[in-house]
Amino acid sequence: MLRLSISSARRTLPLFVVAVLTTVALGCSTKKVSRIDPSAVTDLSGKWNDTDSRLVANELIQQSLSAAWARRFAETHGGKAPAVIVGEFRNRTMEHIPVGTFVRDLERALINSGLVQVVASSEERQEVRAERADQQEHARSDSRARLGQELGANYILQGELQAIQDQEGREKIVFYQVDATLIDLESNQKVWVGQHKIKKYIERKRFGW
Amino acid sequence: MSRNLLWLSVMALLACSPKRVHEEPILRQGDRVGDTEALVAGVHNQAVVDQARLQDRVDALRAEALSTCQGEICAALTRGELALGMTETQVMAATGTTPEAWSVRRAGPASVLAPAARGMAPRDRNGEVALVQLRNGVVSSYSYYEAQGVRVVQKPRDATAAGRAEALAEMLIREGDELAARGDLDGALNRYDRASVLRPDDPELDYRIATVLDKQLRPVEALIRYQLFLHRLELEKIEARGEAHAKLADAIARARERIMILEKRGS
Repeated sequence: MLRLSISSARRTLPLFVVAVLTTVALGCSTKKVSRIDPSAVTDLSGKWNDTDSRLVANELIQQSLSAAWARRFAETHGGKAPAVIVGEFRNRTMEHIPVGTFVRDLERALINSGLVQVVASSEERQEVRAERADQQEHARSDSRARLGQELGANYILQGELQAIQDQEGREKIVFYQVDATLIDLESNQKVWVGQHKIKKYIERKRFGW
Repeated sequence: MSRNLLWLSVMALLACSPKRVHEEPILRQGDRVGDTEALVAGVHNQAVVDQARLQDRVDALRAEALSTCQGEICAALTRGELALGMTETQVMAATGTTPEAWSVRRAGPASVLAPAARGMAPRDRNGEVALVQLRNGVVSSYSYYEAQGVRVVQKPRDATAAGRAEALAEMLIREGDELAARGDLDGALNRYDRASVLRPDDPELDYRIATVLDKQLRPVEALIRYQLFLHRLELEKIEARGEAHAKLADAIARARERIMILEKRGS
């Protein structure tokens, strides 16, 4: 019985030593962090990443700024820029995709272009209204923000992100489609639709890094 | 023979395998994604120039409009409202627009200003303008797009709050009639109720509501409405204001008949 346990210990010892050494080696490996250009294309897993977000933002910005709706609105309203509210962009893919990154890029471009006025979204408004209500009670009368002076939006910008996947063995195709729509708040008329498509081919090699 | 068979099966297997993709990538690792800062700056510069040009034109039109206005028209211009008797320039000043916003049709002494684009119709303080008609260079009537249709202003009273309420009530009653004719009694009742807020002492409206309630098999409410209808007509007779009840002879007879029936059923 004793002989059996000694021989079993002799067999498992090398394995144990290898496991310990591997753990130590992994623990000692150095971590490398570098700051790189945010515009650089870096694809690691093939999932949605910052490059896709930038590509979508750039394309939607180009499409929205070259569309005629804002200029037509200004011409028919004595030079007044239309007021736009950025609504919800729905992620209808199975991936976790933070749509806020390209939506904020688009919002920023619209504001900086001067073509439109952007009003705060419903979430942002709640905080602003709470602050304004607070001012009515606590702020000096000459410094209070007045009530009932909000700018009503003419249009709402909404959108959605969809994905189609196709996979066979070590190959995978992922197709993303982003649609942005600008809707007249009174008539529900769609005055502009922007779209961008991204197709990715992901191939996992059998060997190598 | 067996070697040939082996080759054939290998070929067949290869033919069944999925086709590989050999597309050239449009972006590679390490490439740079461009930005749109230059585009945005260019659009911004152009927008500033365009907006200043349009604002200049609107200001010039407003100055011209105010220099030629008098009395009530000046007040309407200041408020940003259309008014009867305005000139074409004053219409543009009141709506803060330039000629690009309008499509103008002229026929002799009459001319019509219609929005150049339906989705972007000019607005004054009261709403979206549907049409402005001018005769001999001054506004003879104008109209607004309302939820129930187009509201026309032809007399100074039409432009007041009471005139607007009257027109809206009329549109609601018309819509209610259409819904009742289509069999949507709930919808019809909803429109009549809304109209009765704007026109509270209208016996005809009470009769319409009573009829719909009667059709909906709501006898108690219908009875009250029929009685209210007759009561209002009596009041009108006492006040010697209404000859209208004479035109409603059928309605009166019908209401009395329904009251009798409903009261009998109730007892």
